[in-house]
Amino acid sequence: MIAVWGGACLAEILIAGLLLIRVAIGPTVCDRIVALNMVSTQATLAVLLFAAFADRPIDLDVALWLASFSYLATIVWSRYLERGLL
Amino acid sequence: MVIALLALGVMVSLSGAVGVVRLPDVYLRIQASTKAVTLGALPVLLALVVAEGPLTSYGGRALLVALLLLVMSPLASHALDRAAYRTGVPMWSGAVVDQVRQRRGGADDGNG
Repeated sequence: MIAVWGGACLAEILIAGLLLIRVAIGPTVCDRIVALNMVSTQATLAVLLFAAFADRPIDLDVALWLASFSYLATIVWSRYLERGLL
Repeated sequence: MVIALLALGVMVSLSGAVGVVRLPDVYLRIQASTKAVTLGALPVLLALVVAEGPLTSYGGRALLVALLLLVMSPLASHALDRAAYRTGVPMWSGAVVDQVRQRRGGADDGNG
């Protein structure tokens, strides 16, 4: 079971690495924000799976923080693009 | 069951990542990423809930993260989509319809 959690965690990290291609070449700022949003989601899942893999429940709070604040960052960025400084 | 849910989540996330990298337009990329977050993240969290039980520290936090993702992912992608449209990010050249522009009479250049 532990190997399953570790493999899924590694797969999510590889998917996040694939998304960094779009962060690098994205022609507009919006492309980069989309890719970074998905990278942070994959990072949340990877941290959760790593907590199950290493049996460290303290990491679950890191995942909760990432899940809540990454979306806040996306919303703030899009508001900034739309109407300037808040 | 757990392995099936994890495999589903990882495969949908992978296809969403390929979509974000390869699709030609920011709007299509937003759509691919939203689908991938909804159907790719929730099975992984459900696998954690199924494996550890819903009331343990793992399952409880996984349910909380799932709730947050369900609420925030459409909200964030809608805000980002509207910001992209209003700042004038061009559509793909093969796009067939722009309903906002049609509703505004067609004379607008699409910049809100």
